Amino acid sequence: MWPGTWRKVLAGLSPVSGAAGRVVKRLYCPAGKRDTIFALSSGHGKCGVAVIRTSGPASGAALRSLTGQQELPRPRAVALRRIHDPGSAETLDRGLVIWFPGPHSFTGEDCAELHVHGGLAVVSGVLQALGHLPGLRPADPGEFTKRAFQNGKLGLTEVEGLGDLIHAETEAQRRQALRQMEGELGQLYQRWSEELTKALAHVEAFIDFSEDDNLEEGVLARVDVAVQALEEEVRGHLQDGRRGERLRGGVHVVIAGPTNAGKSSLLNLLCQRPAAIVSPIAGTTRDVVESALNIGGYPVVLSDTAGLRETQDAIEREGVSRARERLQRADVVLAVLAAVDDCSGAWVPCRRLASCPAPRSPGPTGTLHPGPEQGRPAGGGARGALLGACGEGALPPTCLLSCKTGEGVASLLSLLGTQLEQLCGDPLAGSPSLTQARHRLHLTSCLGSLGRYHGYKSLDLVLAAEELRLARRHLGKITGRVSAEEILDIVFRDFCVGK
Amino acid sequence: MFLLRRRRALPSAPMPWRRRAGSDGTAPRWDVLVIGGGHAGTEAAAAAARSGVRTLLVTHKADTIGQMSCNPSFGGIGKGHLMREVDALDGLCARICDQSGVHYKVLNRRKGPAVWGLRAQIDRKLYKENMQKEILNTPLLTVHEASVEDLLLMEPEPDRPGKCQVSGVILGDGSRVHAGSVILTTGTFLRGMVFIGLKMHPAGRLGDQPSIGLAQTLEKLGFAVGRLKTGTPPRLAKDSIDFSVLQRHTADNPPVPFSFLSEAVWIKPEDQLSCYQTLTNAKVEQIIHDNLHLNNHVRETTRGPRYCPSLESKVLRFPNRIHQLWLEPEGLDSNIIYPQGMSMTLPPELQEQVIACIPGLEKAKMVQPGYGVQYDFLDPRQLSASLESRLVQRLFFAGQINGTTGYEEAAAQGVIAGINAGLRVSGKPPFIISRTEGYIGVLIDDLTTLGTNEPYRMFTSRVEFRMSLRPDNADSRLTLRGFEEAGCVSQQRYAQTSQMKVTLEEAIAVLKSLQFAATKWARLIPEASISTSRSSLASALDILQYPEVTMEHLARAIPEPLRKFAEWRELAERLKIEAVYEWHVASQQQEIEEVRRDEALQLPEDLDYFAIDASLSQEVREKLDSNRPQTIGAVSRIPGITPAAIVNLLTFVKTNQQRTEHIKHSRTGRSLPEGNRFGKSTFQNSSLSCTS
Repeated sequence: MWPGTWRKVLAGLSPVSGAAGRVVKRLYCPAGKRDTIFALSSGHGKCGVAVIRTSGPASGAALRSLTGQQELPRPRAVALRRIHDPGSAETLDRGLVIWFPGPHSFTGEDCAELHVHGGLAVVSGVLQALGHLPGLRPADPGEFTKRAFQNGKLGLTEVEGLGDLIHAETEAQRRQALRQMEGELGQLYQRWSEELTKALAHVEAFIDFSEDDNLEEGVLARVDVAVQALEEEVRGHLQDGRRGERLRGGVHVVIAGPTNAGKSSLLNLLCQRPAAIVSPIAGTTRDVVESALNIGGYPVVLSDTAGLRETQDAIEREGVSRARERLQRADVVLAVLAAVDDCSGAWVPCRRLASCPAPRSPGPTGTLHPGPEQGRPAGGGARGALLGACGEGALPPTCLLSCKTGEGVASLLSLLGTQLEQLCGDPLAGSPSLTQARHRLHLTSCLGSLGRYHGYKSLDLVLAAEELRLARRHLGKITGRVSAEEILDIVFRDFCVGK
Repeated sequence: MFLLRRRRALPSAPMPWRRRAGSDGTAPRWDVLVIGGGHAGTEAAAAAARSGVRTLLVTHKADTIGQMSCNPSFGGIGKGHLMREVDALDGLCARICDQSGVHYKVLNRRKGPAVWGLRAQIDRKLYKENMQKEILNTPLLTVHEASVEDLLLMEPEPDRPGKCQVSGVILGDGSRVHAGSVILTTGTFLRGMVFIGLKMHPAGRLGDQPSIGLAQTLEKLGFAVGRLKTGTPPRLAKDSIDFSVLQRHTADNPPVPFSFLSEAVWIKPEDQLSCYQTLTNAKVEQIIHDNLHLNNHVRETTRGPRYCPSLESKVLRFPNRIHQLWLEPEGLDSNIIYPQGMSMTLPPELQEQVIACIPGLEKAKMVQPGYGVQYDFLDPRQLSASLESRLVQRLFFAGQINGTTGYEEAAAQGVIAGINAGLRVSGKPPFIISRTEGYIGVLIDDLTTLGTNEPYRMFTSRVEFRMSLRPDNADSRLTLRGFEEAGCVSQQRYAQTSQMKVTLEEAIAVLKSLQFAATKWARLIPEASISTSRSSLASALDILQYPEVTMEHLARAIPEPLRKFAEWRELAERLKIEAVYEWHVASQQQEIEEVRRDEALQLPEDLDYFAIDASLSQEVREKLDSNRPQTIGAVSRIPGITPAAIVNLLTFVKTNQQRTEHIKHSRTGRSLPEGNRFGKSTFQNSSLSCTS
């Protein structure tokens, strides 16, 4: 997902002083040499207007072709334009466009901004249209900022937070991708990736070894068949893609904690309906119970999971392992603990949840929660001790609440709201359909390379192999990249070569 | 300078340096001292001498200089690329091969010029003779025959990493030789053990003593070593083989020389020898299976490569198959045949049984059994990209000792170590080849950044920018740099390369400027199936991409101004290749620029990754500490390092640098010069130097 990404940051970090920065800029940014990147730069959730940005030499051409006008708008002035897909000539929206010719722009390059209506259909339509223009590609995490830095538009202090920003963005994308990848779709992409890697490895083996070692007959012919089959599958998938798996959009909030802490009661309370079965028996919830709701205007997918404990029951054990999987992919973890027990003991699982690897940004919300069977929150003394304990040890935001009386629900919602606001402000944490749109673009590029493989094969095998390398790289943006060593692993596994 | 003839270089001869007092008045001082006379050692010594420093090559047996101790061939796919690059830096092996080959062949002819593999069967005796002649006639290079027992060490230079620095060596007779830099190219000799069947004995090569003293010294100094194994096949008597039943493979006619300087190879095309192919069978497999208990080398746990180096590994990993064996001549008047692919370590009598099962070899006489070698190698991650060790200043390592296999890989490292050992003595910045510039760069970057756990061999699949790094353009990539930055290239070669480069550029510009409609091109060159459907203009360079179009066709169609380019045969061939890759190379250029930018961002060598105050996980710190990447480009290639970790590392380094500069500034009242490429002042005092 990242190779090209941070290289740009790093290059950007080189200027030592202003003068050196100018030298770097002159040497390193030859006009027309860079890709033009684009991304949704406003958040998702409750926004009426979405902002889509491009940066790079093809920005002007992109703006012209999306607005269907030869003339660019006056620099840095807002203009109302009809925006359409140059491929299908279909009107996508009427929106505001702004043209920022470099170097007087956010990144220092030619930039364009499109302010369109915030609906998903419009946004993904515009992103798709941009992705099909020559020289444009989706931005990698943090890439706009990096370009700005490279072009001397940001100082070192401003870039200090860049590492964290990239981390957050890549984490958000990783979680989103994990959610995408778990289903049939994920398995499909994974299989494609393996097939393509194998095809590439076999072509590489043919280049490096066929003259000296006896590769069996027909290696290349088999690769051709494999590539053709892959091409057809990808093409079919893209034509059929709109019917792909439905994924729930929104921030994934996972309720977790020990058994019988009141997790399902909390889910029911938040959903305002009995979505999950509630009983005083520990281990009632075994599967993941999921419910979509709206908290403070933000789309949320709330999941209730089996209580975390060691168990002999095979079904419950599966439930616990599903709960753990779900935790890995959570944006926010809502840890629920019963306040009835000796609370010092209860901190242990709570801390464990807090150190759960996935939701690093922002931290999980821990909720201290008197068991529903108690009927009322813990008394004054205990409450003070609990809150005191919350203050120590750098625990995430915590609140007390009772599912029976509803006491504390408001403060929980306000805590959650703060977290959601932070999460949704980040456009790359994106909705699944935007992730799918990105995947479609990479798949389309992959397909293009596969097609060119056949063309080059009879001309020059190195050029053909290069197309497979490129196709692999496009697919790698979805499934993760493969190193030269892994290619060699396949070569040596499948062929008896070497001397 | 002394030029020792081989005969006089024997230990009985007066030692040359005794005649001149050294810096301390007792012993002489050389600029560069090379230990070992194999493929790495000869290239290293010659490269150092070419770049103008007084060089001594110490070998335990002067007669083994230039010995091809394993296969009688040079080059191949990937390896041929390395040889072209060695040649572009004025190295020896390509030229010597052009004077010593008996069968020249370009591999991969039908797969595209980027992966053509120049290869030749070499006459062992001629190669050795020619190499020794070359070494003994190289100005500033002296050969001395002795064993090296220990290194002379002294206090390190304070402002560089390293616990000490090498100042020379102690020879077998106890005498000391001082040198500014020392290059170790001892191949498989560090604790070498030879295996045949159940027998094993210490030796670097059959019949040659291993180096134990040096191995102990390196261990004491704290170098991390690993163990690798390799092997060599039995040798057969040519006159006992029935070639009539075997498939014959003839050489190319005309043969293509390795060197940019060679117009042609020494041998007449029709005098070239042939190779023959034979195949294994089930009987061979049976013998190997039945006797595994007699085969220590194969049973040993020392890590072997993923690929199949020996007949045993082929049979064990790919059973029930027929495997190819190549019978290669060892020389024009040699009666020995080298059976490529038959490397084995069974007891000799069983090797004879295996041989007798193979078609054509039923009556073959085994002249020397195959054997395995296990040896120590140095973890190459302890070296910087100049091949200087970080632990001991001025000590360089090159060749098989760094975990590689193959003559060409050794030669490539030798040239780089030799150049850099010389530059180090003259206080000049190191000469580094980037991954974006050559296979040599990929080889050394892979080794020094990622290390290896099997004998490292060059493959074209390891090279990201394969379309740009071609055998045909190695000179334009490296020769000019070699001349200007390292001084290791002769004036003649420099002039030749410059002329070629200028003409190529001019010709490409002309070809691009000749633009006509496709219909006109189709009329001009009726032989080619030019698609007339495209409406835009096509340049002559576009037309040259068609497989059936050559510069001759173009010159016939448009004699003025193309004839003069077409008449220069070599230029015309190169133009054709440039045309094929032009578009892809141009589109890869951006990526190459990105990698170069990263490589220009250097990390301080002595950074304590465990102590620095940057937001890095323990795992990342451990990886950085063990791999010791030199540039941000290298960091990026270490598996498991995240982009965020890289940015955090850089931010730390950068901030630190600014602080240091600020202090300096306030102390001296003047600012540092900017953009000092590899400049010592920035390099030593700051945490990060960068190219601008």
